[in-house]
This record gives sequence, structure tokens and C-alpha cells, in this order.
Amino acid sequence: MASREPAVRVQDVSRRFGYRWVVRNVSMDVGSGEAVMLVGGNGAGKTTLLRVMAGLLKAHRGRIEYRGAVGMVAHHTMLYDALTARENLVFFGRLHGLRDDGRADRLLERLGLDHVSGERIATFSRGMLQRLAIARALLHDPDVLLLDEPLTGLDDAAAHIVLDVITELKARGAALLIATHQLVELTSVTARVGYMVTGRLAALEPLPGPDAGAIVSRYRELMASGG
Amino acid sequence: MAASSLMGVALAIARKDLKVEWRTKTAFISSLVFAVLVLAVLYFARDKTSVGDYDLAPGALWVTFTFAGMLGLNRAFLLERENRALDGLRLTPTSPTALFLGKMAGNLVFLGVVELVSLPLFILFYDVPIWRQLPLLMAVVALATVGYVAVGTLLSAMVVRTRFSEVMLPVLLLPFLVPPIVSAVQLTWRILALRPLSEMTGWLSLLAAFDIIFFTLSLLLFEAILVE
Repeated sequence: MASREPAVRVQDVSRRFGYRWVVRNVSMDVGSGEAVMLVGGNGAGKTTLLRVMAGLLKAHRGRIEYRGAVGMVAHHTMLYDALTARENLVFFGRLHGLRDDGRADRLLERLGLDHVSGERIATFSRGMLQRLAIARALLHDPDVLLLDEPLTGLDDAAAHIVLDVITELKARGAALLIATHQLVELTSVTARVGYMVTGRLAALEPLPGPDAGAIVSRYRELMASGG
Repeated sequence: MAASSLMGVALAIARKDLKVEWRTKTAFISSLVFAVLVLAVLYFARDKTSVGDYDLAPGALWVTFTFAGMLGLNRAFLLERENRALDGLRLTPTSPTALFLGKMAGNLVFLGVVELVSLPLFILFYDVPIWRQLPLLMAVVALATVGYVAVGTLLSAMVVRTRFSEVMLPVLLLPFLVPPIVSAVQLTWRILALRPLSEMTGWLSLLAAFDIIFFTLSLLLFEAILVE
């Protein structure tokens, strides 16, 4: 159950590359224990917004407030090919101040990667890398998790593991913002949806229904009205 | 960040870099082949009757170290570009200071190993009896390497997001290296010629000043370079 207290508050945030504004005046709150889906076409500004929220890009305008630690899963795994799955997690764990390697082992097991923990990740499939990237993002038990296309490259079994993890995170009070094109799978774990149209957050509303088609229709409606 | 934690994180980063290099050996083998090539080419390219070993050796040694080290410095942040691992580092509470120190420590070990392997080859090629003077020569090598690696680490982080980072690094780095390399060449020549220490203090002071100034500047500027 989502609390009323926002875990993350985005206020009038804008970001440009050169002279082109890619994210424009975005304001939104995500509450503790809530998962919000962020949808939009390619180039709508979803990834840039998440990168700004994670602190990887500077916002040229506006401000972002957090309660607690932030984690992110992006298009790129942010991992080292020459290291094993376990070595990657232990290394990032050290940077998060973890002295116990057990956390890395538990996450590998939770994400179904314990049987390949000693293998170099250069040999991993896209789905395995994606799950390992999620494990990396969960190392420090973040209160806010930003996920950019978390289900990309995952088969059904792996997607279920990730959806279960998202449900668990919500249950323990984490706030999640999930940018995605895979609407069908994520409607089961999200309560609200934000529609990004040409860099603006055109609307942030409760899911129009369990059917992904309703989200697409609503998005088209917003596109037609110019966001 | 407490000093012990800062050093712990810096060591974790250095260890990771060295582990990756140990497994891939990309930069190390390239640097070593390059070092052998430069030492050999310079040795055979001169006219032995007009340029003696002692005149050529100091320049040859430092040209070898400088360019062989460049390959390692390039690699230091290129490996963070793979899979955007640098973003992963920035998502942790790692301070820019710890990141800089870790990267610099990794580069120092890398270049130190390249230098240690190149030095016997240098002695072999140029037949210079440096055994008695070896501690002093090692001290000069260490002093020059610290300043070189400090600026190199900063600039390699700066160019890693550019399209031609491998080309950009030498272009930006070499002008900064003129004072330490000239000092190192002068000192090496004096060491090989068994000159008294009193003749070296000026160059040693210049090297030390370069190290202090550029290490401090690099440390201070590193955070600004990380911001996108």
C-alpha cells in the first residue's frame, strides 16, 4: 500500500542537450510503496528524466528531493565484462560500504543467477545481464528505484522473477519509477502511469484499466492534443 | 567520507582495475611491445660514431616510459565506458576523491610494472652500468611517474567521453608533461654520468613541485570532470 508521503519529489525539472530541451518542466511525486509506470515513444525523454533523477545528469532547471537511497537499472548494465557476476556485485557492494559479501550471494540467488555466480559476465545472455544489473541496483537496499526498461531481453521465467522482486520492493516501502514499452507485464505491479510526450509529462494518472490497450489509447489521445 | 573508508574504496577501485587488466592484459602487452620497439628503434636508428650510448640513453628511456604509459592511461577510463560502468560508480556514494585516488593507484601500479620490465631491457640495449646508481634512478622514475600519472588520470577521465579519446589523450597530456620529462631526462643523464647530487637538486625540486601542484590540482578538478 502506497503511503501519502512522497519518497521522491520532482519539481519543475528540465534538461537540455545543446539547445534542445529533452525534458521540460516535469513535476511528479512517487510515494513510498508505490510503483509508477512511465510511458512514451522513443525520444520522449523517459531515459533522460530517469538519468537526471538518478543524479547522472545535471538538471538545468528545477529540483529533485529524495527520502533515502536511490538505485537505478538502465539500458546499459554498468558492469565489468572481465569480472564474474559475484565479483561485480562484491565490488559495487564495497563501494556502497557493504562489508558482508552475503548480500551479493543472496541477490544472486534471488535473481536466479547463483549457478553462474563464478562465471565472467562477458559470456552472459542479455537476460542474465539484465537480472545482474537489477541485483547491482538492489545491493544497498534502495528506498527509490528507477528502472529503465527492466524487462528488456527477459524470457517469461526471468520476467516473473523481476516482477516478483518489484512486488517485494513495493511491499517493503520502496518507491519505483519504471520507464517501459512493455505495458502488458507491468500493469500488474503499477498503480499509476505517467505519459511523456516530447519531453513533457503530459499526464500522471491512475492506470486506465488492467488492459494495456487503454494506456496506448490514452497516450495517443495525449499525443493528438499535443501533450 | 572517513579517511579509512575513502582509502578502502580507493583500494577496491584500484584492485578492480588491476584485476580486469590482469585478465585481459590488453594494455600491458601493448605497452610492453611498444616499449621494446621504441628502445630498439632508437638504439639502431642512431649513428654510433656521433651519438654515444650515454647521450641517447636518457631520452630513449623517457620516451619509452612516456608513450608506453599513455596506452595504460587511455585504458583506465575506457574500461569504465564499456557498459557505462562509470555511471554505476557514480550511483554509489563513492566520492570523486576516492575514485581519483583509486584510478591513480591502479595507473601507478600499471606504469610501475611496465617501467620495471622495461628497465632491464634499457640496460641491455644501452649497456649502461647503473647498478650502483639504481636506487637514485628508481627514485627519479618514481617521482616523475607520480606527476605523470596524476595529470594523466585527470585527462583520461576528461577525454573518455569524446569520440577519439585515444588520440585526444596524448594531444592534451604531452604539453603538461614537458616539465617532468625534461627534468627526468636531465636527472637520468646526470645519474648515468655519475654527477654529484648537488647538481641534481634543482631538477629534483622541479619534479617534486610538479608532483605536488598537479596532484593537488587534479584532485580538485576531478569532480567537475565527472558532471555531465
